[in-house]
Amino acid sequence: MATRFIVRRFAQAALTIFLIVILNFILFRAMPGSPDRVLARNPNVSPEAIQQIRERWGIDKPLIPDQLIAYIGATFRGDLGNSFAEQGRPVTEVVGSRLGPTLLLFGLGEIIAIVIGLALGAYAGWRRGGPLDLVGNGVSLILYSMPYFLLGMILLLIFASTLHWFPSFGMTTLGVTHDSPLAYLADVSAHLVLPVATVALGLIGQYSILMRSSIIETMSDEYITTARAKGITDSRVLRGHALPNAMLPTVSLIAINLGYVVAGAITVEVVFNWPGLGTLTVDALKSRDYAVLQGIFLVLSVSVVFANLGADMIYGRLDPRVRA
Amino acid sequence: MRSTIRARAGRILAIVGLIAATLAPATTSVHAADGDLILKVGTDQEFSGLNPWQSVYVLDYEVFTLNYDLLVGYDKDLNYTEGFATSWTTSDDGKTTTFKIRPGMKWSDGQPATADDVAYTYGFVLDALSKETTLGSGYLDGYVSSAGVKSVKAVDPETVEITTETPTPLLLAAYVPILPKHVWEKYSLEEIANAEAKGFFANDPPVVGTGPYQAVEYTPGQFMKFQRNPNYWGKQGAADQIIITHFENNDTMTQALKNGELDYARGINADAFDALKGTPDIVPVEGFANGYSYLTFNGYPKAIKDGGSSTRATADPAFRDALAWAIDEQQLVDRVLAGHGTPGTSLLPPFQAKWYVAPDPSVLRQFDIAKADEKLTAAGYVKDASGNRLDKEGKPINLRMTWPASESELATAAQFITEWWGQLGIKVNAGVTEDNTLLVDLTPPEYDPPGKADFDTYMWGWVGDVDPSSLLEPFTTDQIGGSSDTFWSNARFDELFKQQGQTIDETQRKAMLKEMQEIFYKEVPNIPLYYDSELHAYRTDHFGGWQNQPPENGTPLFGFGPIGYTLLTDATAAPSPSASEATAPSAGASATAAPGDSGSPTSGSGTNTGLLLALGAVVLVAIVGTLAVRRRGAKATDEE
Repeated sequence: MATRFIVRRFAQAALTIFLIVILNFILFRAMPGSPDRVLARNPNVSPEAIQQIRERWGIDKPLIPDQLIAYIGATFRGDLGNSFAEQGRPVTEVVGSRLGPTLLLFGLGEIIAIVIGLALGAYAGWRRGGPLDLVGNGVSLILYSMPYFLLGMILLLIFASTLHWFPSFGMTTLGVTHDSPLAYLADVSAHLVLPVATVALGLIGQYSILMRSSIIETMSDEYITTARAKGITDSRVLRGHALPNAMLPTVSLIAINLGYVVAGAITVEVVFNWPGLGTLTVDALKSRDYAVLQGIFLVLSVSVVFANLGADMIYGRLDPRVRA
Repeated sequence: MRSTIRARAGRILAIVGLIAATLAPATTSVHAADGDLILKVGTDQEFSGLNPWQSVYVLDYEVFTLNYDLLVGYDKDLNYTEGFATSWTTSDDGKTTTFKIRPGMKWSDGQPATADDVAYTYGFVLDALSKETTLGSGYLDGYVSSAGVKSVKAVDPETVEITTETPTPLLLAAYVPILPKHVWEKYSLEEIANAEAKGFFANDPPVVGTGPYQAVEYTPGQFMKFQRNPNYWGKQGAADQIIITHFENNDTMTQALKNGELDYARGINADAFDALKGTPDIVPVEGFANGYSYLTFNGYPKAIKDGGSSTRATADPAFRDALAWAIDEQQLVDRVLAGHGTPGTSLLPPFQAKWYVAPDPSVLRQFDIAKADEKLTAAGYVKDASGNRLDKEGKPINLRMTWPASESELATAAQFITEWWGQLGIKVNAGVTEDNTLLVDLTPPEYDPPGKADFDTYMWGWVGDVDPSSLLEPFTTDQIGGSSDTFWSNARFDELFKQQGQTIDETQRKAMLKEMQEIFYKEVPNIPLYYDSELHAYRTDHFGGWQNQPPENGTPLFGFGPIGYTLLTDATAAPSPSASEATAPSAGASATAAPGDSGSPTSGSGTNTGLLLALGAVVLVAIVGTLAVRRRGAKATDEE
């Protein structure tokens, strides 16, 4: 039964990815204008030359079926095309080189947010009305409602511009050749602090609010009363009975959240000039680099599919009813 | 009992502490190793790469003039000075120019740099032009074609002759980098010109050039690193290395400058720029723009099916003149640019001091709604009973107005103009258009594929070269279907444009340009709204010797040629170099790259380590996640 559940989920995921590929194609072709028109602003370009460029980029052929079939075939061969703005560099290479920094930034941010956010929320909910709840809830609401952009700028102004504790931009210090991997790690870490803090703080607010209400809801359930009536200690009721059930909505939230990584990535990365997918997205949008945009969107939508798949699996572990 | 909660809190604290521990030493461990002086430059623009033919932005021009020399360079007053050539003479008929090449000059790799390299570079462009191949982005070959270059010949290693169809002032102005034949001749025209071609020559670092600095490392979309050229023939700049970084966010760039993480920032926002004033060690520079923002009227002379202007009035110079009286350019400068600009008049900006002609006070348009009203009525555009202005066909004039999304400040300009023209009984429907859609909307039927010139008025900007020709060309009749967005046509303007491109004598040429500017001002194909300033800033604590190019209204860097970089001096050298480096955490960070390995790009290892780190983080997430789930799962089953 468990196997069937897994197979079904994987089949669904595969179908979703196929639909994403098609949607991706249509979406980008439906956008106004085309890259060759940018060249029309150049007084020296002849119409013949523009025609050449169209052929070069394959935008002279009919959209459907020629371009669509070519696109689907190429995508499944792992060929995402070439970047228009980066002089024909393969998209896989362009996107691949930016994937690492984004994973690093958001991976760390997520871990910190999960650990602190859930702990904070659980404790605040359990001690509802207590001092930590009052302060924590207020802070969480502020953090939750604050856009990454603003949060990032505030951190940057305080910790980089005023206190000079951390560098304000990039992933490494300009012009430094690192003698050892450790020196490199240290340099990257220093650059990581502010962007990771931005991501983590934004998410902590969200996670703790949800965890808190989820715990509060669970606490009124009858099995909690039963557990307490059995004389189990307060902390064991929390960890053994309330938490596992309260975790369920949080898991889906975290999984869904991965989908918003792109929105967050763009603003956080732009604020700190972080060389990840977010800054790449902005650049690609500016230069109308269709191929790269498609690549990014594909990577992101596929990772959302996988995140949800992962959530389903974890959900299955947490709540055996789902597996049935 | 609270102990378990506390234990958990303890574990969380431990994790946080662990993370903090890895981060803590970071700021102190990054420091200069061997005192290389690095100039750190931030820019709002994006790189187009290292193949100069692919250049699009000001930044790209900056990059190739660091790498290479132009045949004829520019000094800090924007006069011609030696470049790849040291001197030049023109034959009696004015059609042959003989350039003398510097004896004993070497490329950065030690190979001799000779007349052969000039013959190769210009010959390459001529070959591309004869085959009608677009050379990269198609900007640089235009300099050779508009100068009317017919042939190029290396007479001997130190002499090269270039022949043009007519005498022309445009040959010396040709902004074409001289490339090393021994590097570039291995690649075909297609491999150099076509970024999508198989075997495309991207000119990856290390670049071989004769310029003062050569690119040694380039990470697309992020930064470019240059190393001083020990073989450079001119004055050696103080900086051992230059790193130019692209910034996505203007505020971050400004903060990095304030922090001392940058020495120079180009393209600062007006608000941030004003806030920089009075900051210690920072000098904000407001340079004149070599260009302008305009409001164009659709002057297409015929009706276009399903397109064109909504009224014939936009093709009428009298109508356009009247509307120009109802625009307060000074107000726009104050309110749209926060004062960082000058009101527009001519299609040549005041930056072009040699050629700019301010309109005679007798014809200069002032902001005067009443006069605009009179002029409209006099020209036959009367108001109906309800106050709407009618065109000559008796239809109320409802002008569409748009601007590209990338130029967000024009939205403010549109609000003002809507209000002013509204007072004339002219309704304006203003709305932004996405850049590419706008480019499509602007194309006339002459374009291939034919467009519909589907607009009434729109706003955007033009940017020019040192020579004024490129700013004049879009208004010639030949450019309808090309760069023309006004579809204005004037026989005298066309004739003068051709003549000025063949006139060496500057007094005569200026007379022609004056007449062109007068015709333009009278006919109003577009209304120059303002000349937006270039807002840059630099720090004085690491480098001295900053000089504007040109001194009166230019900026130290991102002008014309690399002179601004070579004039820099080491501001830390005299007092105490280490003291200033120790002040800011990362500002003082200098390079450890050995001067000897000016070659090898190091981006590869960086990416790998980054990836490893990322992988580590992901694995960590997975482990933590699994453990958490395990424990909870186990507990849940245990206790239920």
